[in-house]
Amino acid sequence: MIIYIFGIVLLILIAPLLLSFIKATKMVLLYKRPISIFQGYRNFNKLLNKENIISRESSAITKYAPFLVLSPLIIVMFFLPPLVHGSYYVSFVDAFTITGLVSLSTFFLMLLGLDSASAFGGMGSSREAFISALVEPAMVLTIFSVSLMAGNLGVGQAGVNLAEHFPQEHMASFLFSGISFFILLMAENGRIPVDNPETHLELTMVHEAMILDLTGLYLALIEMASSIKFVIFASLFASLFIPFGYGFGVLTAFLFFIIKLFIIAFVVALLEVHTAKLRLFKIPNLLGIAIVFAFLSLITFYVLGA
Amino acid sequence: MVDFLIGLFLASLIVSLFTTRLYRLLLWYSMNSLTLGILALSIGKSLDDRAMFITGVMTILLKAVGIPFVLKNLSVKFNFVRQITPEIKVQYSIMLIPAILVFTFYLSEPIVHMIHTNANYVAISISSLFLSLLLMMEHKNVAPKIIGFLSMENSLFLLGITATNGMPMLVELGIFFDLLMAIVVINLLFHKEELKV
Repeated sequence: MIIYIFGIVLLILIAPLLLSFIKATKMVLLYKRPISIFQGYRNFNKLLNKENIISRESSAITKYAPFLVLSPLIIVMFFLPPLVHGSYYVSFVDAFTITGLVSLSTFFLMLLGLDSASAFGGMGSSREAFISALVEPAMVLTIFSVSLMAGNLGVGQAGVNLAEHFPQEHMASFLFSGISFFILLMAENGRIPVDNPETHLELTMVHEAMILDLTGLYLALIEMASSIKFVIFASLFASLFIPFGYGFGVLTAFLFFIIKLFIIAFVVALLEVHTAKLRLFKIPNLLGIAIVFAFLSLITFYVLGA
Repeated sequence: MVDFLIGLFLASLIVSLFTTRLYRLLLWYSMNSLTLGILALSIGKSLDDRAMFITGVMTILLKAVGIPFVLKNLSVKFNFVRQITPEIKVQYSIMLIPAILVFTFYLSEPIVHMIHTNANYVAISISSLFLSLLLMMEHKNVAPKIIGFLSMENSLFLLGITATNGMPMLVELGIFFDLLMAIVVINLLFHKEELKV
């Protein structure tokens, strides 16, 4: 139980570190002087010391929504596969619950965008709805096919089964669902081919457009929610698709898991530098590739058993 | 390991169906051939077949490095169109590709029952044959059509090494020289086109 709680707290604590690490890696690759990788914590601290200003047009939703954006993601943290051997975990929660909780958080984020009554907020919300509606079917298909390979519908139990008996004979369908899940990781977290998290250009904003009106504690909560969302997806990827190093000793396993998270972050940074941002109406094509791979993984598993 | 490589083979082919740039398509073709070469090497290692090593190394040298390089040089020389948008819309491809895959997986079921080793690789190589046909169909320009032809050859090669546990080396070398001849003929055709203009 202590390991379980410690793991969740550790993941929440390193969440801002990962996003700052991505940013710093990108700056190094673009020959700029990199920011400190502790910049995420500094920003959080700065935002906590600011006062809250709320627009006159906005209703009570603006006061509640940041908490409701954050809380479903915190709940998802409890359902993740265990990080180390011998840790407590929730075995019965399936793909629908996790996808549903993530989209509940997205729903409140969209309400927040609409509530600010600015033109940007509505635009950002509609775009976010467009993207997240396309992400969900691929995500459910992908996690289902992984669960089938692991032999259990519960995501936590699937992670444990994969770590204990790695499905060598299903390597092909495993690879396809891995590709699909990585595309979803990029899309759902608003990384570059889908959304650029650093710009405030009106044509390209998706995530930033919804939170343009917020300051202070509320903005800090939203920023924390977005970094926790990245950690959720990265640790799902690490424990479902790179299921190695689970059986080590407790400290070594934690260290190994964090190294895996940083490797994923590095790959994301590398892809972000390497690709251009897609036009908004080209995004269904990218997510279509994800759906094709998820479906391919399912049928390869069913028909060929490979 | 072989399962992983065969997955990479099919994945690089599917991604190349969605690309809209010529150089990226060449890169994916090169990846496709590279996985094929490593696959031939690993199957050769498991069968302890010396001839398979030679074909694997030849595949990597010729198809993964040589042919994309030659095609890139040709495309610079003859000013190929580099924006190659597929004629079939992506929405339809998303429905078409899984349909082709399901169809070919069930189509190859009778063959799979006849072969005992590596049965499902036959299904994947037949489906990649159909996918490279689709790659030839969905483009109007010449260069992607050539890539489609070459990847069709790749999938036939995959069928050869997985279904029969390696063809005689003479046959495989013959196929390589055929391929080189095809590239030379394509080069000559472009020269002739240029002379006409």
